[in-house]
Amino acid sequence: MLFFIYLQQAPAETTKYMIAGYAVIFMIIFLYLVSMYIRFRNMKRAYKMFMDLDTDTE
Amino acid sequence: MIPKPRLLIGLDFVTAFLFVVAVVMVFFYAPLEAVMGQVQRVFYFHVSTAWVGMLGFLVAAIAGIVYLTKGEEKWDIVGVAAIEISLVFFFVAIISGSIWARPIWNTWWTWDPRLTTAAIVELIYAAYMMLRQGIEDPDRRARFGAVYAILGFLSVPLTFISIRLLRTIHPVVVGGGNPTAAGGFDMSSKMLQTFFFSLFAFSVLFIDLLWHRIRLGTLAHKVEQLRMKDID
Repeated sequence: MLFFIYLQQAPAETTKYMIAGYAVIFMIIFLYLVSMYIRFRNMKRAYKMFMDLDTDTE
Repeated sequence: MIPKPRLLIGLDFVTAFLFVVAVVMVFFYAPLEAVMGQVQRVFYFHVSTAWVGMLGFLVAAIAGIVYLTKGEEKWDIVGVAAIEISLVFFFVAIISGSIWARPIWNTWWTWDPRLTTAAIVELIYAAYMMLRQGIEDPDRRARFGAVYAILGFLSVPLTFISIRLLRTIHPVVVGGGNPTAAGGFDMSSKMLQTFFFSLFAFSVLFIDLLWHRIRLGTLAHKVEQLRMKDID
């Protein structure tokens, strides 16, 4: 494969791999950002709930 | 609860801007590589994500040392935050590298020294996250985390130097020249500018994410303390 790539005049046609590569990069980073946002939101809810419980018991 | 600092809001905008500029440079500024074609553009973010991965593991090891010295909970939070971010980015680097390898090496994966050591690093830190979950006592968990982060970091320089010391097909683009490597290329000035700008943008992204993750960790720590108090 590599041998044929070096023999050719024009660059190899590898656009679909580039698209796949960047799709994976953007998707994983985006999913991580979403997961961080959801966890932060849930933790804020939990914090508020415990604070409310504390004030109720006092 | 501490409101989001203005500096962090500013950093969010700066990070988003730098990231967009990096994307534009990768697709519209950097020239097309003569042999590999479009897939070579994966290189800019592949290396940047690997860089963020290694940077985070280093931060975690330093945080581990500081935790063992001072015994302050916040350093454990910093360590976990850095490792979690690094795990994600190192995973991105491995997957994007695999996609880049397919048309160039004609395989998705090979047990080359660089790929093998990178996979080992990822597994070491994935195990760190899983083992932490199994420890109930926060002090023991933090001590374990600190020692593990320091010892685990030994695998990171090994991965970095593997392509410089061992016979490998993985190219060394910066300061390289390995005759057995496949997929190596000489960078033009525009490629170099794009490469270093991507590294810079991802470094800022790491700082921004680390700050957010530390805030999340701090909040989780507070919730854990409140839960313990309620159980008592």
